[in-house]
Parts: sequence; C-alpha cells; structure tokens
Amino acid sequence: MGPLLYSLDIIVYIGIFGIVCLSLNLEYGFAGLANFGKVAFFLTGAYTYAILSQLGVPFYVCIIVGVLISAIVGLLVSFPALRLRADYLAIAVLAFGEILRLIVKSEDFAGGDWGMTVSPIFPYTTSSLIYRLENIGLIFIFLAICFIVVQLLANSPYGRAMRAIREDEVAAEALGKDRARFKAQAFMLGSAMAGLAGGLYAQYLGYVVPGMFMPMVTFTVWIMVLLGGPANNWGVLLGAALVEIFDRGTNIVKDYIALPVDPSDLQYILFGALIIFILLYRPQGLLKESMIRTKTLRSAHDARRSIKNKGS
Amino acid sequence: MQEGLLRIREVSKHFGGVYAVNKVSLDVTHGGICGLVGPNGSGKTTLFNTVLGIHKPDGGEIYFNDQCINNLAPHQIYDLGLVNAFQIPRLFYSLSVLDNMLVAAREQQGDKLFNSLFLRSKWQKQEEGLIEEALNILELVELEHLALSPAGELSGGQRKLLEVARGLMAKPRLLLLDEPAAGINPVLGKKIFQKIEEFSHNGTAFFVIEHRLEILFEFASWVYVMNKGKIVIAGQPQSIIDDPAFYTIYLGEE
Amino acid sequence: MFDWSQIFFNSFVTGSLYLIAAVGLTLTYGLSKFPNFAHAEFMALGAYAGYFVSEQLGLGLPLAFVFAFLAAGTIGLLCYRGIFQPLAKRGATIIHLMVASIALGFILRHSVGAATDWDPLYFTATWSAFDVGPIRVTGLWIWLIVTALTLSLVMHFLMIKTKIGKAIRATASNPELALASGINVDRIILITWFIGAGLAAIAGVFRGADTQIWPMTGWDMILPVFAVTILGGIGNFYGAIAAAFIIGLAENIGVVALASLGLSTTYRIGIAFVILIITLIVKPQGLAMFFRRA
Repeated sequence: MGPLLYSLDIIVYIGIFGIVCLSLNLEYGFAGLANFGKVAFFLTGAYTYAILSQLGVPFYVCIIVGVLISAIVGLLVSFPALRLRADYLAIAVLAFGEILRLIVKSEDFAGGDWGMTVSPIFPYTTSSLIYRLENIGLIFIFLAICFIVVQLLANSPYGRAMRAIREDEVAAEALGKDRARFKAQAFMLGSAMAGLAGGLYAQYLGYVVPGMFMPMVTFTVWIMVLLGGPANNWGVLLGAALVEIFDRGTNIVKDYIALPVDPSDLQYILFGALIIFILLYRPQGLLKESMIRTKTLRSAHDARRSIKNKGS
Repeated sequence: MQEGLLRIREVSKHFGGVYAVNKVSLDVTHGGICGLVGPNGSGKTTLFNTVLGIHKPDGGEIYFNDQCINNLAPHQIYDLGLVNAFQIPRLFYSLSVLDNMLVAAREQQGDKLFNSLFLRSKWQKQEEGLIEEALNILELVELEHLALSPAGELSGGQRKLLEVARGLMAKPRLLLLDEPAAGINPVLGKKIFQKIEEFSHNGTAFFVIEHRLEILFEFASWVYVMNKGKIVIAGQPQSIIDDPAFYTIYLGEE
Repeated sequence: MFDWSQIFFNSFVTGSLYLIAAVGLTLTYGLSKFPNFAHAEFMALGAYAGYFVSEQLGLGLPLAFVFAFLAAGTIGLLCYRGIFQPLAKRGATIIHLMVASIALGFILRHSVGAATDWDPLYFTATWSAFDVGPIRVTGLWIWLIVTALTLSLVMHFLMIKTKIGKAIRATASNPELALASGINVDRIILITWFIGAGLAAIAGVFRGADTQIWPMTGWDMILPVFAVTILGGIGNFYGAIAAAFIIGLAENIGVVALASLGLSTTYRIGIAFVILIITLIVKPQGLAMFFRRA
C-alpha cells in the first residue's frame, strides 16, 4: 500500500477512534466514570452491524440499530455501575468486555474465532483511493455530530451539573443533582457513540473477528484521552490523532529502517513510558480541562477582560 | 412551640454502637435564625447530615414542611427547599466560583439532557438572570471579583464564604449552616450574620451550628444546646446565658 | 458420570495456583488501595527469572523458585518506589494508579517479548502423570498444592504472631494510626510490595512449569486472580484462600458442566469473570465478613 493510501487509512482510524475518545471523554472526563470496558460497546456496535448486514439489512438501519443496542447495553451496565467505587467499576466493566468477547468467540451466530464478513457501505470495487475518501467523508460527518453533541452538553447547565457530580457527588446531590440520572445518561450516551464507531469500523474493514476487540483497544483509547486532556473535547481528538499517527506511522518506518527491536514492541514500551510520564508530570494532559462556556458566560468573560484592560 | 418547618422527633444515629445522635427532638420554625451549639463531638454535624439524607436515621422521624423525609435522597430533600452549607467546604474545585454558584440554582431548564442539546434558548435566558443573582450574592460576601476564578484558588476563609453563598443561591426555605463564621475574621463573620439576618427577614429560615457563641447569640432568636448526642437546653439566647448548666457543659468537656 | 474425585483434585490444583498469585495481590491492593495490573508481569517475570536459573544456569527448579521470588520482589519494590509512590505523593487518584500499573505492564511485557522474540520457553524438567487411586496427578501439581498450603500456614503465622505481620495489618487498616504508634510505615509498604511481587513470581514459575513461559503468562491469568482477590475481600488473605478454592472448584465443575451442556469450553475462563462481576454487584466486600480481618 502506498504512503498516500496508508495516510488516508490513518485518517479514517483517527475519525473512528475520535468518536470513541469523545465517548470516553463524556463518561470519564466530564462525568468521572472510569469506563475500562469501552471495547465492550465498540464490539456491540460492530457485531450488531455485522450480523444485520449479513441479513441484508440496509446500512443506515444497521448503524441505527447498532447505536440503539449499544445504548441499551450501556444503560443496563450503568445500573449496578452507579453504586460501585471507581476501581470496582473499572474492573467490572473490563471483565464484562471480556465476557462479550468470549461469547462472540464461541458462538456460531457471531462467527466464532473466524468472525464474520461485513458488507461495506461504499463498494470496494471503486478505487482504493476513492473508497478511503468516501469513508473519511462519512466518518468525519459522524465525528462532527458527536463532537457538537458532547461540546453542547459540556457547555450547558447539564454539563456543569455533570462536572459537579464528578468533583464531589455528595455535595452535588445535596444541591439537587440526581447523580443516578446523570451517570446513567452519560453511560448510555457514551455507549451509543462507541457503538456507532464500532459499526463504522466494521463496515470499513469489511469483517469482524474477536481478536479485534481485546482490552488493548480500551487501553489505547484511555491513552488517547489521558494524553490529549480529559474534559477537553479538542484535547481528546488531538490525543486520538497523535496516538494513531504514532501507532501506524511506526509501522511504515519498519519498511524503511531496520530497527533492532520489533517496532510494535517498541511502541508499547514507549506508550507505557509516555503514560507514566504524563501521569507524573502533566496529569491534565496536553490540553487542560475546558472551562464551561455557555453563551452568557462567554459574554461575562469578555466583559471581565475589557474591564481588566481598561484598568491597566 | 408552634409547629415547625423542620420537625425532628426522637432521631438517633449510631456508628458501630456509639450513639452520635441520641433521641433528639427539636423544631425549627419559619423565619428567624435558630442556633445549635455544644462542645466538640456532641453530634451537631451528624444531626445535620442525618437530616440531609447523607446518613439514614437509625430511629425517629424527620419532617420538613409537614413531609416525612427519612427515606428521601439528598437531591429530593433539596427539592423540598432544605439546603445546607458544609462545615468543611465541599466546593467543586475545578469549576469557577460563578459555576459553583450556578450549580446551586434550582429548577434549571438546562439540567435536562434534551433541553441542553435542543432547546438552548430556553435556558440561556434563565441563565442570564441566574448569573446576575449569583453576582449579587457574591458581592455580599466580597467574592464578586473572583467570580471567574477556579474555586480551587480561593483561600480557606474565602472557601467558607463561597460555601455559604452557594447555599443562599439555592433559595432555600431552610438553610442549614455548619459553622459559617469559622476561619473568618470576626468583622467579616459578623457581616455574614448581618446578611443572614437580612435574608431571614425575607422568609428564609436558618438553622446554624456555630462555635463563636458571641456572634450567634447576638443574632439567633432560639438556641438548642447539645451534649453527647442529646439536646440538654433549649431557649432564647439570654436565658441560656443565664443558665449555669450551660457553662458546666462547655467547661466540663475541657 | 462425572469423575468427582478428579474434579476435586483439579480444583485444588487450580485453587492453589490462584492462591499463591492472589495473596500477593490482595496484600498490595489492600495496602496501597489500587488494583495493580502489573501484578501479571510480576508473575511472568518470575517465570522468566526461574527459567534463567533453572535452564540457562542449569541449577534446577528449586533454586529457580528462590531466585524468582527475590528477583521479582526486587522489581516489585522498585516499581512501587519509582512509579506508584511518587504518583500517590502527587495526589494521583485510584484510576491514575491503575492506569499507571497497566502502562507499567506494557513496558515489562513488551520488553520481555522483544528480548525473547515472543517465543515460548519451556522448563526441561518433565513431570510424568501417575495415578493415585482414581485420580490422575503429576508431581508438579502435588508440589503446587503443598506450596500453597505451606504458604497459607506461613502467612497465618506471619500475620498473627510476628511483629512485622501485625505491623502490616495495622498499616493496611489505618495508616495514620500505624504511623502514630511508631510503625515505620514506609518500610512496611516496601516489604509488602516485595513479598507480593515475590509470591506472584512463585505462581509464575509454577504456571510456566505446568504449561509454558511466554510474555502473556501473567496477563492470561490476571482477571481470575482479581476475581479471587475481590471475592475474598481486598486485603483479606484468609478470604483469598477461601476464594481461590471456591473459584478453582467453580471453574473445574464449570468446565465439565459446559461440556455436558454442549457449550464451548472457551467459556471456562469466563466463569471467574462472572463470579467477579456478581461479587462486585451484590457484595463488593466479598467474603471479608466471614473472616476476622487478618
């Protein structure tokens, strides 16, 4: 595959994982929910799409149903999750994701170890270049929609209440915020987005196998979010882009430079070191948490700035 | 005693067999400032937390506005108009001072998922009004100039003030204040109580735990004295000062 | 119909392995208050260290265990000192520490993988199977069970009778009080991490000797080990002992049940996951209430 096609490929993945990052940003960055089972909902969307597309269902129905089922699963998971401490929640969802993977690995309706083929939205028969461009267009439209949704939520009283619950849920509840509702909604919405990304992923690749849904996917998304900056939507997109470029970029390097160490091993070692470095020295990520900016607050900020300028 | 806005009847709360609150009964009536005093460890804060729904009572009933609130969640109790300001401020430290205030406002249209996405103009108008209200209250506690700063940057005393201001922002029927003047210089502390008194004239009731007895007794119209989980004295400040038992309680614990 | 005696024996074997791996995890989790996913790599590193001593130096398996314990213990100690302690000092949350442990796992796993080209390694000592009555056993499995039982007794003695054990228990339940009573909390934490990682290594050597040694040796087992830790009650090693055998039994009965129901036996590992999730939802403290906290 030439470098142009490979670069376009990277852009597709940035789009897909951008959506997943936004979903984790909503759940963890804004609502404080440590979802370590992200891949479970990604898998749900992907396999739902796959199963439906094999039955000949039109693609937009596959996507919609994938999103709905992921949202429902997210809502169901949220019920016990609401009562759990952060680390318990993380481990529980991680185990849940592995159970889902075991199910699709073992059952025939999901193709077992060999997975299933998926009908792509855009036909393969056109040139590889056009195939990628078409997918980039589609995926980035969805990415933009998700971005706008999460951004609007964050910059509203709803987002303010969510962050308050994240900071101190006892105080937030004492001030009238029903934490169960907010957390359940965050989980549901986040799972829906992850399911959407899963469906898009499945149709782009044209197949799904259980090995594509290892816990590593969840950890990769966490790296993207922590690197880019939790609670900052531009930040997590930046994180997605950087990690994808580094991840797949180094695969190209392998073809041109002989390294003493297998590049994929080197990548993991560097990722690991990078995350520890970030956690130690810059836990807020590259871009700090975005301040809440509703229309009215923005004018308050501007007014303050003009007063400051007048004074000086 | 008239029927109270807040009626606590024989409420108890224990932790592992130790009764922090032991069959407490009291009334807080509409309007005015009601005080709750007592030595350290007498159970005052635990009583507040039990009323708020943070702890479930182990016995007795709590009525607010004629409704039993024993089994309500804290956010439901807030909805009824009972709000509090914690002793150690529980602010949202990465949010701005103004945002902290806005969280406290009630009946926000923008709190709903659908509205925040699709009906934005509905709550934007409301928010303009709320911002003005918030800035007015912040002005009372001399925090207006810090409205856009993160709450984490405030000093200890300023945090206390924001905690109280946030409680006022919630337009409560009854505001529970846990040591509002602690850690604040006496002049500002007195000013806070003057503001509280103004609010009480407008219909808000206050139930205040305070260690600075001289400030509290100047403003309170009724005081309960608690010791070792029980209410031991109740009355107007003057009669409490004249009661020798009062001093025994406080000196006894030293 | 079912070979119950074999099932029970197999349960002891599985349970023993989980026990050795989980005791270390429950100690560090209970003390430092976060789930250390790099515990998996302490197991794997232990297997490799054991391999080095037993095969490359030709010193045999028993010494392999000793060396593995010491090597992994040291690494565990250094990881705590170099990564987890500084993070905790900077106010890292449980989640941050958990993510750091996952990142540490990447580093360790892939360093070993790169160094060995991801080729599985094998201990040369062979263990032939023989029959004890109706039960098929191997010598290794007997050793595994004996080690687990000995470990339980040693830990019981350590925790109840010795000064260090009491200090560990005190620090785990109330660090400030422990510090105030003159316990060198810092040293206790280091000792606990050393022992925890060391025990993981022993489990790793057994696992490697029973199957194979490869970089995923630990990761393959880590979720069931977490299941044991949580079912037993975090920080409660008596609970961990009970939980290890409960889960071992559940897995071995489960495998037979799955096969007879016509379901895939790949689900075997899912049994521990299901127990884990049910425990967290229904009773997160696990079996701790049955065992007076060590």
